[in-house]
Amino acid sequence: MLLFAPVAALGVGQAELLPAERAFELSAAARDGRTVAARFAIADGYYLYRDRMEFALADATLAAAPELPRGKVKDDPFFGRVEVLRGEVIVELRLAQDRGGETVRVVVTSQGCADAGVCYPAQRQTVALSLPKPGERPGPPVEAAPRRKSWFN
Amino acid sequence: MNAGPPTSKRVLRIGVVVLAAALALVLGLYLGQRHSGVGGGQDSRERASALLAIALPDVDGREQALGQWRGKVLVVNFWATWCAPCREEMPEFVRVQTEFGGAGLQFVGIAIDEVDKVRPFAAQIGVNYPLLIGGYGAMELSKSLGNRLLALPFTIIVNRAGEVAHTQLGPLRDAQLRSIVGRLL
Repeated sequence: MLLFAPVAALGVGQAELLPAERAFELSAAARDGRTVAARFAIADGYYLYRDRMEFALADATLAAAPELPRGKVKDDPFFGRVEVLRGEVIVELRLAQDRGGETVRVVVTSQGCADAGVCYPAQRQTVALSLPKPGERPGPPVEAAPRRKSWFN
Repeated sequence: MNAGPPTSKRVLRIGVVVLAAALALVLGLYLGQRHSGVGGGQDSRERASALLAIALPDVDGREQALGQWRGKVLVVNFWATWCAPCREEMPEFVRVQTEFGGAGLQFVGIAIDEVDKVRPFAAQIGVNYPLLIGGYGAMELSKSLGNRLLALPFTIIVNRAGEVAHTQLGPLRDAQLRSIVGRLL
């Protein structure tokens, strides 16, 4: 009996909730030697805070601050008006220089919540991408590297 | 044939059966462990002991040992200002603390946050119980207490005997909180 009691005691139900990296799946794809597209596939019932997102390259400079899509405004009693993003979010990153033939690391910070009433701490993920040389076809999208440490231990 | 000496085939067959049984046992233990979670008995005492053994700074930088509230009904709430559902449930915690504090109830908040963000929020809603600053290390602690997804809010209620009585990921509904607290006090 005791084996079942704790499951019932676990609030919104951990079994139904996704770990952050599955709720907010990050991938990135090279478009050419100086353009990269980062993409979040946000699961239904989850959202990311637009203002908490950061995009950078570990070993290259961006030509300009990336433009993030507009989100839906949420009124937060403590933080005021905040924008949240749902579904698919694509952010284009333009490098200051052509880096075709090289590998760059896209570093993305994000923070979001589930409608069920839980929030996940900000997470920083990295995607290593090979950029195509002129005339080459860009490679397929690359998923963010899995965490070294499993959440399920 | 059956009475004959064991052939290498028979030895192999027995070996396979023993191996399968061992695997089943290991798998059974593994699954049993995964499903047991936080419950009564020794496990719940061990988890509560781990929690009561920690000390964290409060908003004024003074180290506070959780062990000082041993013997009370202790509600430890992991939260953060960046977590809207966490902030939403805290005014009710303030009310319940006022109502049942005299009867031996003690709320303690562990903020996965920076003190400069915690202080103004605490003042805004008039938090009347200790808020400790946990940082990411406290998040890992909550994981060892059952917060498998490392999400917030995460609340753990320890009874007077020093056992985990309830663990909750996500907000505690008012009625649910009052019912648990009423039962334990």
